Amino acid sequence: MGKKRLSLILGIAVLVLLILLPFYGSRYTITTFTRIIYLAFLALSVGTLVRQGGMISLTQTAFFGAAGYIIGLLGVERGWVFPLPELIAILGVLLMAFILGLVVMRTHGTVFLMLTLALGQICWAFARQNTSLLHGWAGIRGFRPFTVLGIDFTNPNNYYWGALALLLLGLFVLWLITNSPFGLALNGIRESPKRMASLGYPVYWLRVILFVITALYACVGGIISVYATGIITPTTIQMSRTILILLMVILGGSRYFWGPVVGAVIAVWLDVLISQMTPRYNTVIGLIFVAVVVLAPNGIIGLLDDIRNGVKLPQLKRWWNSISAKQSRDSSV
Amino acid sequence: MKKQALRMIPLFVLVLSLIVSPIAHGAENEIKIGFLSAFTGVFSSFGKMQQEGAVLALEEVDYEVAGKKIEVIYADDQLDNDLAVLRAAQLVEQDQVDVITGLVSGDEGLTVGDFMRGKDIPVVVMYSASEDMTMREWYPFIVRPTWTGAQPMDVFGYWLAKELGYKKIYMIGEDYSYPYNQIGGFKRGFFRGGGEEVTTVWHPVPQGDFSSLIATIPLDQGYDAVLYNGAGSDAIAFVKQWVELGMHDQIPLLGQSNTFERPDLESMPKEIVGSYSAHLVADNLATPEWIEFRDKFVERWGHLPSAASEFAYVSMKMILRAIDLLDGDVSDKMAFVEAMRQVDMSDAPRSPLYLDDYNAAVQNVYIRQVSLDENGELYNKGIYRVEEVSQFGPYNPEIYMSYPEDVGNYPPDTRAQMPADLLQVEKDYEFIPFEQ
Repeated sequence: MGKKRLSLILGIAVLVLLILLPFYGSRYTITTFTRIIYLAFLALSVGTLVRQGGMISLTQTAFFGAAGYIIGLLGVERGWVFPLPELIAILGVLLMAFILGLVVMRTHGTVFLMLTLALGQICWAFARQNTSLLHGWAGIRGFRPFTVLGIDFTNPNNYYWGALALLLLGLFVLWLITNSPFGLALNGIRESPKRMASLGYPVYWLRVILFVITALYACVGGIISVYATGIITPTTIQMSRTILILLMVILGGSRYFWGPVVGAVIAVWLDVLISQMTPRYNTVIGLIFVAVVVLAPNGIIGLLDDIRNGVKLPQLKRWWNSISAKQSRDSSV
Repeated sequence: MKKQALRMIPLFVLVLSLIVSPIAHGAENEIKIGFLSAFTGVFSSFGKMQQEGAVLALEEVDYEVAGKKIEVIYADDQLDNDLAVLRAAQLVEQDQVDVITGLVSGDEGLTVGDFMRGKDIPVVVMYSASEDMTMREWYPFIVRPTWTGAQPMDVFGYWLAKELGYKKIYMIGEDYSYPYNQIGGFKRGFFRGGGEEVTTVWHPVPQGDFSSLIATIPLDQGYDAVLYNGAGSDAIAFVKQWVELGMHDQIPLLGQSNTFERPDLESMPKEIVGSYSAHLVADNLATPEWIEFRDKFVERWGHLPSAASEFAYVSMKMILRAIDLLDGDVSDKMAFVEAMRQVDMSDAPRSPLYLDDYNAAVQNVYIRQVSLDENGELYNKGIYRVEEVSQFGPYNPEIYMSYPEDVGNYPPDTRAQMPADLLQVEKDYEFIPFEQ
């Protein structure tokens, strides 16, 4: 019980630190945390599908970009004001996810992976090659934050607080979903779809609903992103971005509720810190990713979990055992 | 699930403590230059060429001007606009640079320019050629001692129509903003000089296989030449297939400014000898300034400079001279820009240059022909020069900017549809043979 209380206090402390960030963090820290928040939404979208449904989807980044493009076309180019473009973006993405979900959720495993990969790539190629509407490579720029309910979101601090509030709300809703009968049914489907179907659960439709819900998270991330960066371009939804998000989920721990968020925090800060130290930052970050996947397949949270539970790292232990065994052999000779 | 949530906390604390610890640093006696370009990824060759030129200028003064140390902070954006904004934010907010330079592509330039608006930090554009940066979207902190896409091409189009009497051109081009601006300038010059039609065909980037695009060129419809409006790997592929299909015997090939640029030219077949293009540099420039720069560059880096290297050299030199003029005090950023406007750049290697009212360079443009040197290697031989060409060509800036920016289907393809305003000017170019 004491352990739990301590954790609760720590949790509140972190929350307070995050809320007070603009008072002690630099301007760039705010920019970086805003980036962490919108990438965390996208990582939650991918991570929830992995954790709840056991499905690796490579289409989520397209939902993220679609939200940006819809706002760009309506808000930036046609001058529609908040909240109309944002609402249309959300509805548009939900509709898109529903239609795509009807198709992709008929598949499982590798086929699902390939199908979502193809859909993601189609969206990217369309954005890049369509010059008349989406402006090809150039994309759409000129997104400007606005004032809502008297709060001026052009101030980066206000924008950060707004995004943080949305993330907390999003996490709370996700937590409710996870612990709802719907979430539990999804866990069952992940373990054994056939068994769940024989118990009378509408497996297919539950999976479609999950797909639409996760698309909503990607969409909200996309909306936060365009106003934070001011632009939407095809590079926003390219393959490397999709892979980065997947790595975030694995880095944090794909089995854990907090995994995507932790992964986003670590991946973004790794990029910020290491890119200042060496021009070969991509190599260093890549090596770190490889190390994490090899040494801690359950991600950073899994690693901490193991340490807290007193479990030795399996890989390290095996490696150490083999070395010490070799040494004792050598010394005996 | 709750238990897992709680386990997260030590990690959060760790990360937060990492963030709160100050990363940014900086000495009083230092001027920081943020260098934002593509140093990794597909376009890293541009970043490398720029870096070589800029470092040459910095080493000339040993990284010190007016008693201040010059620190250059390299930021890699891989020519990804999304990343460019992030890196620009990093340079401004964390490193607190005094000036941002670099920039390769037109879209990257416009994106960073848009982001830097209101930040009151000078942006010195080294290569990005989208004209709106110093035209319709200009603000006083943008300085471009280099070029716009239309600047050399307006001269080129006018020359082809006026001097060679070309009437009809068939253009195949890469479908994005820089080629739009290049052919936009070309059409204005070409129609003004008496040309009748420029047929435009766009292809996605990268294309790779051009056989069908080349095969469908209507050779029987009286076209005077084909203009390939692309660069880099696409240009190499196009030119190779052009020669493989035997087109070089049937119709002249023209290039946009970068089509036959180094280092791509070295990978192209010798059959393209005779092809024309226009740029702000030429390999056989014989001015003392160019020769001095070229020799210094070759000595330092072991190969010939490209246009991107020269542009970076000139840009960096202008920044350093402005710092010197201000005696090292760059705290007033508007004065910094004003100093850049004032410094004398008439000794720039490629041509004497000065800045117009929109901080864009006014300079020589060279008409060049791909030729063989004594070693049998291809090079761009300058044949004519035009002096003091502005980004507006021979037009009045107000008239020029009253028309929209160049896009895929504007300006129109024929002289008949061209606005009459753009078909006549008070004073047009004077072509001076290269030897003079």
